[in-house]
Amino acid sequence: MKNDLFEPDVIAGDEIALDSEQRIKVLSPSLLVAKRFFRNRLAIAGLVIISAMFLFSFVGGWVSPYGEDQVFMGYDVMSKDYAGVTVNKEYRYVEKQEGAMPSLLRANFILALNSGKTQFESNGLVYDIVGEGEEFYTVKQNGRELALVSKKIFDAKSAGTVFTYEFRYLAEKAMQPGADTQFEYRGKTFSVEADEGSTSIYTVDGAQKSLYAIVSDFIVNPVSDDVFLSLEFKAAIQNAVNNKKDTFVFTDAKGRQQEYTILRKDFQFFVKKQTSTRLIQIYEGPGKKHLLGTDANGMDLMTRLMYGGRISLIIGFIVILLENTIGVILGGLSGYFGKWLDNLLMRLVDIFNCIPHLPLLIIIGAVMDSMHVNPKTRIYYLMFILGFLYWPGTARMVRGQILSLREREFMTATEAAGLTVSRRIFKHLVPNVIPQLIVLATMGLGDIILMESTLSFLGLGVKFPYASWGNIISAVSNVYVMTNYWFVWIPAGMLILLTVLGFNFIGDGLRDAFDPKMKR
Amino acid sequence: MNGSAARANASNDTEYILEVRNLKKYFDIRSGLLQRVTGYVKAVDGVSFKLKKGTTMGLVGESGCGKTTVGRTILRLSEKTEGDVLYKGSDIYAMSKSDLRRLRPKIQIIFQDPYSSLSPRLPVGEIIGEAVRQHKIVPKEEYEDYLDKIMASCGLQPYHKDRYPHEFSGGQRQRICIARALALNPDFIVCDEPVSALDVSIQAQIINLLKDLQKQFNLTYLFISHDLSVVEHISDTIGVMYLGNIVESGSKEDIFDNPLHPYTKALFSAIPIPDPTVKMNRIVLQGSIPSPANPPSGCKFHTRCSYCMERCKSEAPAAVDSGNGHIVVCHLYGADGKPIAELQKP
Repeated sequence: MKNDLFEPDVIAGDEIALDSEQRIKVLSPSLLVAKRFFRNRLAIAGLVIISAMFLFSFVGGWVSPYGEDQVFMGYDVMSKDYAGVTVNKEYRYVEKQEGAMPSLLRANFILALNSGKTQFESNGLVYDIVGEGEEFYTVKQNGRELALVSKKIFDAKSAGTVFTYEFRYLAEKAMQPGADTQFEYRGKTFSVEADEGSTSIYTVDGAQKSLYAIVSDFIVNPVSDDVFLSLEFKAAIQNAVNNKKDTFVFTDAKGRQQEYTILRKDFQFFVKKQTSTRLIQIYEGPGKKHLLGTDANGMDLMTRLMYGGRISLIIGFIVILLENTIGVILGGLSGYFGKWLDNLLMRLVDIFNCIPHLPLLIIIGAVMDSMHVNPKTRIYYLMFILGFLYWPGTARMVRGQILSLREREFMTATEAAGLTVSRRIFKHLVPNVIPQLIVLATMGLGDIILMESTLSFLGLGVKFPYASWGNIISAVSNVYVMTNYWFVWIPAGMLILLTVLGFNFIGDGLRDAFDPKMKR
Repeated sequence: MNGSAARANASNDTEYILEVRNLKKYFDIRSGLLQRVTGYVKAVDGVSFKLKKGTTMGLVGESGCGKTTVGRTILRLSEKTEGDVLYKGSDIYAMSKSDLRRLRPKIQIIFQDPYSSLSPRLPVGEIIGEAVRQHKIVPKEEYEDYLDKIMASCGLQPYHKDRYPHEFSGGQRQRICIARALALNPDFIVCDEPVSALDVSIQAQIINLLKDLQKQFNLTYLFISHDLSVVEHISDTIGVMYLGNIVESGSKEDIFDNPLHPYTKALFSAIPIPDPTVKMNRIVLQGSIPSPANPPSGCKFHTRCSYCMERCKSEAPAAVDSGNGHIVVCHLYGADGKPIAELQKP
């Protein structure tokens, strides 16, 4: 009876001895390479680094709760201007009818008043100045009242109250020392009570007294138009100003307490209020919310590093793919067909090698800037340009390989066997070039990522809002950021370093693994 | 004479599978800034021979004499400079590329170096079977069986198919090369020093394998070698080459028992005889082989020939038949093929 367990893969009818060759495990060249590769510790380290980079970049961006260009805002309590207070030093005019006292008349009035006259002329008409009290005049023409001139400021309790000429006249009269503190206007009784530095006007309804307006020397205006300052608040400010206080606490109608500070400047006072404000959280240090902090735009650095890695790696791979496609096709044609084609293509390679890459890329970057190419299209252009610049190296290598392989006897054998040209190229030549190609490509990946970072650093590559390790690092061009916010640029620098190192380790490992003379 | 003339005319006769007429292969020497052709390396300089079906012709000569170039030029693996190569009466060099490709399986080659003649990245089954499939030598259903059969006849096991060349020894690789050539069902195989890279015990295996296969498949070989004992073992006829020319050719017995050309004599005197009692009578040639880029005038061998005459330096000798198809190219022999004087060592 045949025991299948102990006789694997036996060709029917054949007996296999214990030391038979058939028992030797068959390893294809690629498996041998893999075996040698995995024996190389540095290569494994490189592989781990690159795998980690891939996870970080491709899975990370997905896992991260934040978006690539999500700006973080926070609330912060700040002292902001709330109201301005000015001590009034000028005469104010209250006209009986609108337009009764135009500006020319006002100027003539001031001139006359300053020179102590009680009459003045304007436009051939004679006007009388009637002193009604201290810094309180009325202007009349031919016995007809035109306007009231005073330095007092009336602040109404409720918004929308308009003080008419008659009311002002009666109120100011009542405020004169020794006058009756009560007056009647339009059927209502008002009483005037002088406080320290200001005067309050109340409406009197029997025994009931309620505040109607305050008269003072202060003009109180809110900083923003949509705020109405209540009379109580104005009174509080005036009280504080009069008492030369720096701060005061005011409790508004809804019972909220708020501290205000007063800044004095000549006859002006600025009332500041502690308000909470929405702020972009820039250069926030590493913490729980932002593992690596935020950058100059208030974006989460960790997330940006993830997206940046994605772009850097994608650019690297696409450029390598492009470069190798062009390089293999042109190098292959050159090596296989030789003669004038080889000459032509290799001179083309020489020309490409003569182009200084950095200046050319700087020029292209500047052109793209001036053409306002949008950031996404820019990334594609960048890939094409890099691929187009870097193919000559690959082409040279492929050509050299194919030139030497073409003369090997196994290629002659394929010709003797009458194989088609495409078969000879793709089944015999290309597989023999692939090891060198893989090594070159792996090493090249590091270079491309460095080049991309360099360009992004210089502001020519990947542009905001897209992240790339290079443009994250470019923050160090600001010395303050370099010295104070290490978390902005060190991680990006480390990632570039690790990735390039990883690719080089893998490349070295592959080169050693592909080299059949390395029997390690 | 009548018979031989008739035979010469009947080159289309199926008896002769291959006929080579005055084949020349010059390689350009280019120099200077413009890479102008300034001279030629005359690797093959007028070689003619015929090969009967089912026989083996040995081509011997020291290294650099153009043996390998003859083999490759016959198969049109490198282009000729002059002359004709007729395979079964049709000129290989007159064929279109597609016709040539169709003919390829019939004329095969086994290379000297079994290491570089196998693509390292293809499994052995693919190396052997690739061209079989392309040329549709056998129907698809029979392909696997056919491959097994061919590999078995070359001493390879079916499980070797999935292995790669680096896993085989030199002898096994050479078997793979033979199997690759054989799988295309050829009539004629150029064996370009197939055993030179192998050690002696393996050499014998391979030579015997080649002989067995020849019997089995009625193959015709052009066996190129510098190893006279191997050539003696396998050949029916022998051609001796010196500096791009065949200086002597004939049946194996004629050449080995009665070498006529001074070069052949010198060459054969170098075969060691495994008997310490036999006194070796070696003829040691002076100097080394002249450059084929600048070959000597007249008889090319005159610079090293111990029988050199005035005539040899200016006049190239013609081929003479000393009977039984034993052809020698030397001034020492008259038009009738008899020596002009008793040869004595000067």
